[in-house]
Amino acid sequence: MGPATIVFWLASAVALAGGLGVVLFKEPIRNVLSLVLVMLSLAVLFLLLSAQFVFAVQVIVYAGAVMVLFLFVITLLGPVREQGTVRLPWQIFISAVVIAAFAGFLVAMLRGVSYRTPDAADPIFGSVQSIGVGLFTDYLFPFELTSILLLVAAVGC
Amino acid sequence: MLIRRNPLVMLICIELMLNAVNLTLVAFSRQLNNREGQLFALMTMTVAAAEAVVGLAILVDIFRVRDLEDVDDLSELKG
Amino acid sequence: MQALALAILLFPAAGGIFLGVFNWRGSRLLTAMVGPGVIWAAFVCVLILLGNNVDQDFTYWTWIRAGSFEVPFDILIDHLSLFMCLVITGVGGLIVTYAVGYMEHETDGSYARFFCYMDVFVLAMLILVLAGNTVFLIVGWAGVGLSSYLLIGFYYWRRSAVIAARKAFVMNVIGDIGMILGAFVLFVSYHQVVYLKLFPALPHTPDATTELAAFLLLVGGIAKSAQLPLHTWLPDAMEGPTPVSALIHAATMVTAGVYLVARFHPLYDATIYAHAAVAIIGAVTALFAASIALVQTDIKRVLAYSTMSQIGYMFLAVGIGAYSAGLFHLLSHAFFKALLFMAAGNVIHALHDDQDMRHYGGLWHDMRRSSVTFLAGSLSLAGIIPFVGFFSKENVLGEAFSRGDGLGYAVWFIGFVTAVLTGFYTGRMWWFAFWRPASEERPVAGHLHEAPLVMLVPVAVLAVLTTVGGFLQIKAIGGWALVDDFLKPVLGEERIRTNGLEYLATVLTLVLAALAFAAAYNFWIRGTWSPAGWRARYGWGARVLERKYYFDELYDWAFVRPLDRLAGFTDREDRSLIDTGAVDVGAYTERGAGALSLTQTGFLRSYVLVFVAGVVIAAVLVLWRASS
Repeated sequence: MGPATIVFWLASAVALAGGLGVVLFKEPIRNVLSLVLVMLSLAVLFLLLSAQFVFAVQVIVYAGAVMVLFLFVITLLGPVREQGTVRLPWQIFISAVVIAAFAGFLVAMLRGVSYRTPDAADPIFGSVQSIGVGLFTDYLFPFELTSILLLVAAVGC
Repeated sequence: MLIRRNPLVMLICIELMLNAVNLTLVAFSRQLNNREGQLFALMTMTVAAAEAVVGLAILVDIFRVRDLEDVDDLSELKG
Repeated sequence: MQALALAILLFPAAGGIFLGVFNWRGSRLLTAMVGPGVIWAAFVCVLILLGNNVDQDFTYWTWIRAGSFEVPFDILIDHLSLFMCLVITGVGGLIVTYAVGYMEHETDGSYARFFCYMDVFVLAMLILVLAGNTVFLIVGWAGVGLSSYLLIGFYYWRRSAVIAARKAFVMNVIGDIGMILGAFVLFVSYHQVVYLKLFPALPHTPDATTELAAFLLLVGGIAKSAQLPLHTWLPDAMEGPTPVSALIHAATMVTAGVYLVARFHPLYDATIYAHAAVAIIGAVTALFAASIALVQTDIKRVLAYSTMSQIGYMFLAVGIGAYSAGLFHLLSHAFFKALLFMAAGNVIHALHDDQDMRHYGGLWHDMRRSSVTFLAGSLSLAGIIPFVGFFSKENVLGEAFSRGDGLGYAVWFIGFVTAVLTGFYTGRMWWFAFWRPASEERPVAGHLHEAPLVMLVPVAVLAVLTTVGGFLQIKAIGGWALVDDFLKPVLGEERIRTNGLEYLATVLTLVLAALAFAAAYNFWIRGTWSPAGWRARYGWGARVLERKYYFDELYDWAFVRPLDRLAGFTDREDRSLIDTGAVDVGAYTERGAGALSLTQTGFLRSYVLVFVAGVVIAAVLVLWRASS
């Protein structure tokens, strides 16, 4: 067990705990903070998977910008708690069935998969250089499309 | 997201799911030594950011106009 | 000459278009000038053609061409068509002139509309007689039916007028169908539509084809001429204004059947049964209509039935091959029947449109001029010498008598009985409506206004023609025969040789008809015999006559009711099968849509649930397919 493995397990545990927090907390502010936790731990996992650029973006854009936006909205709207009558009585039951089916599907899919240690990574794999070349050569068109999407979102709001 | 009725929490749940997808993408990218997984994760982040922005803007507008308890109050469009 | 022949048609056409399109809100004076004017112009054209003795088939252009089928636009000018044109434009001109006064109470729009219809009618009638081929003939034939419909329904705000118009139209269309089928049979068999090419192609011995064609054409003829059994529309057609009754339902249109048989005389000469059918139908109709006329109380209906009866004489004549006698009676009938209608129209006009003879009386004193002219027409109708009706009717009967076979004697006998009946009902009409003292029910009690000059002059002209016109052809008493001679180029030599015996029959008819006319005096003036007593003794007979032999009821029972029942049946089935089916489809669609709309809950969470469930199902499916 090298230090990388320890970090992996730690980050995974934190991510799972954060995910549960997102789902289970009643206060929106706690949900958001849990999500921030998930994102940061995911960022660590990205780094372990030698995706430095994705790691940086995850920390700066996601955990930084997007979540700050959520926090702003929450402070803007004040505490909104779920209350009132439940109008869809079968929702929980059917949801449970569907989720169970999905979980069963996942288990069935993962059974019999042989795990292997990936090859040693290229030094430049996942670096800014590699990503940049990819974005501006082979994937220039999708890249421009996403920039237009962002522009539309920015203008539309 | 199937259970919660707070619109904000539902948006947060979407973000969570997208993050899960990102993790899978990056992990497979590493496993298969393939750059495209990471690129796609970046795209996902962009889309997620845009979606969060638009969703939150709609939410703020709705809350400004109407006094809502949860998303079930927004059920006028039923057939 | 070619242009002049076309001008006969163009004048009324231009008048109709002008009045219908440009002048329906325009000047009343202009309407009164143009309406009769164009007909007189056509009359002048006919006179010029007659003066130049034109006898030619003018082809203007090819009208229809489809493969080997070719219909030219041609006008056949011969003595027969000129003779008919003289009647139509001459008598027609007088009647339309008369209408200038008769229709004076109409509004400006209706006034122009009336003359527009009249001009269109004259145009259609001229097309009918001038047509040089069967297709063009059908155009005129149908056009005449149409304008008759328009004119009967002229007072379209009166329900009875509209119903009468529809009845006339339906009956006429039955005839039109027969006519079209007849022309079709002729074309299919002989590949000709133009008369002058068709007639030489006809065989001279009877065969099934010619019989069929002749019978089909006869169907058209009897519908248009109101002969049995397609006659029921004519009495109802009296709903139209009186000039219309005079022009269409006495002088011109109803004689179209006679013209048709005369025009197709090579065809009828070649047949046995169809030709005899013409004579028999004519004779039976003559008797039938005359008997109904005995009991009618509406003066125009009496005249309508007498028209049917007189046209029956014409059919009788052309049916036994005495074509020119039939056409002479056509001419004479146009004179005296138009005269009777117009004189009666003067009376009706003066009595505020009351047509019931029981409300009349005292007219001899109050409307002397109209009464005198009416008397001339009555005596002519009754067949009293020297009026035109005597010469023409006796001509017909003489030809029938001297034909010398069973058919000839049979139709002569029916015609003879009819002549006596005619004398009687004419006398009844005259004594009862004009001679007797004024009825207490008369709508206008005091002095009656005699008709204006514009109405009196045409009546007077016709009265003169009725009185002296008979001397055109005094064959009935053994003399010259100008009409026969005039029509000889078309209708050929006289076929029936007279033997002298018919003069005896003529005298007998004349005497009995005159006696019947006089007998009516005893009934309605002196009261020696009381009509009420006869009615009490023969009530069933009077009822049968008053109900017109139950023909309307018979048609109602035979055609209208079954069709009504059929319509009711299909209506019910339509409701229960088709409507219900359609409604059910709609209802099920609606219900299905309602059920589906339950899925549109409006709850975001349930949408997400469905979405996720779909994703799961899709993923499972993909995996399952990949693994198998």
